[in-house]
Amino acid sequence: MKKPSLTEACQCSSLTCDGAMGTQLIQLGMQLDECGMLWNAERPDDIKSVHQAYRGAGCRLITTNSFGGSRSMLERHGLGGKVAEWNRRAAQLAGEVAGPDGWVIGDVGPFGDFLEPLGDTTPEELEEIFREQISALVEGGADAILVETMSDPAELCVGIRAARAVTELPVIATYAFQKSAGEYRTMMGTKVAAAITAAYDAGASIAGANCGTDLSLADYLELAKEIVAAADGRPTILQPNAGAPRQVGDEVHYDATPADMAELTSQLRALGISIVGGCCGTSPAHLAAMAKA
Amino acid sequence: MSTLSELAIAVEGGKRNDAKLFTQALLDQGLKPLAIVEQGLVPGMASIGEKFKNNEVFVPEMLIAARAMKECMLILEPLLAAAGIKPKYTAVIGTVQGDLHDIGKNLVAMMLKGANFGIVDLGTNVAPEKFVAAAQEHSAQLICLSALLTTTMPAMKLTVRAVRAAGLTSAKIMVGGAPVTQEYCDEIGADGYSQDAASAVDLALELAATC
Repeated sequence: MKKPSLTEACQCSSLTCDGAMGTQLIQLGMQLDECGMLWNAERPDDIKSVHQAYRGAGCRLITTNSFGGSRSMLERHGLGGKVAEWNRRAAQLAGEVAGPDGWVIGDVGPFGDFLEPLGDTTPEELEEIFREQISALVEGGADAILVETMSDPAELCVGIRAARAVTELPVIATYAFQKSAGEYRTMMGTKVAAAITAAYDAGASIAGANCGTDLSLADYLELAKEIVAAADGRPTILQPNAGAPRQVGDEVHYDATPADMAELTSQLRALGISIVGGCCGTSPAHLAAMAKA
Repeated sequence: MSTLSELAIAVEGGKRNDAKLFTQALLDQGLKPLAIVEQGLVPGMASIGEKFKNNEVFVPEMLIAARAMKECMLILEPLLAAAGIKPKYTAVIGTVQGDLHDIGKNLVAMMLKGANFGIVDLGTNVAPEKFVAAAQEHSAQLICLSALLTTTMPAMKLTVRAVRAAGLTSAKIMVGGAPVTQEYCDEIGADGYSQDAASAVDLALELAATC
């Protein structure tokens, strides 16, 4: 049986996306200066174990381990030649876990610099970088493409265009927001309504936010209201951190408990967010509580 | 006749072609390069920094202003070097070990350059001993540490420890980055924290003055 399209599914039921990947890999022994993409090739069972933990928690959207998988990011590790192989592998690993009623979400993170005129990269060059990564994710079996944690709407829109150019799969687009002078904006200063509208206009099927700098659970509720208003009936997504981080000695604590995140999830759903997931500080335990909320 | 305030306004507005023309015109009028830096470029960057702190402008406006400033400096630097004029203060800056993010670090470096600091940029994933060696080599007044990831913040602590262990008493350490707080700064014994790239300039001037 053919899997239902993610965009149709999220209009008729509440869906849960998975949570943080990086911190789970660090718990499994990944070194800080290690390239996380390398684990798709060398530690596939560990990557799958993280996917399995989230899938078992009730998450139906399984995000590939490919946040830093663009050529520009891999080149920082001197591994720019591995884009196709490792992104394909990342999608395959998620596909082995997602199952018939789960979706493989092909993850694309920021390319790591600024577009012209602020930086030296042209939109055409960036589109090529994204196309290469997205093509490999599609080849590996992605069911949707996630262009995530973006600060610059221009970069996000290039990502969406690149996805649209290589596949008909739905595109999910998310921004990282921060609160400056009482308003939610991306680092580039774009307000929520303008950012979200730009994402849909560029061809995103689902738009919203993930992560963010120093946002509290209450902030995420306010942010959700603005996202839903801007979406105007179109599907939305929010993947909050487990509250704002707090430093204790050498460790960073995210204080929101699974129960806190479950309560937040109910509130987000009541506001009209279609897909809820997690970001920094969330674990399979948080997502299990959120999926049941 | 061009004026220093016209130059400052061009830099602040990110009008790099105008800024270069004003810089050249001011030189042709006989102004000293250092005066052009201190009374044209620095006030222009300070003004955009102030607006950034007040959330009136955001990262793009800062970057465009910094680019204009940098192009003027390309004209002025050879003249300053020929006259044997060095920036009053030198800052060694880098993203700490394990962290490959450099947008925040680059912003701070640009803003410090815009305040006429000499900048030694060590890049990303910088080991503690590299910070120490560079600070010694360049007799830096400041060592600036950046981290974006909560997971790499402990490398800041190790770097502070390495600087103290090396007996570099003349250099002050400042820290910043999205997850970094004043509390963390105090805890690891760094000398100062600033929450954005514009405030970093104020902090840097304050700390460097005590060296």
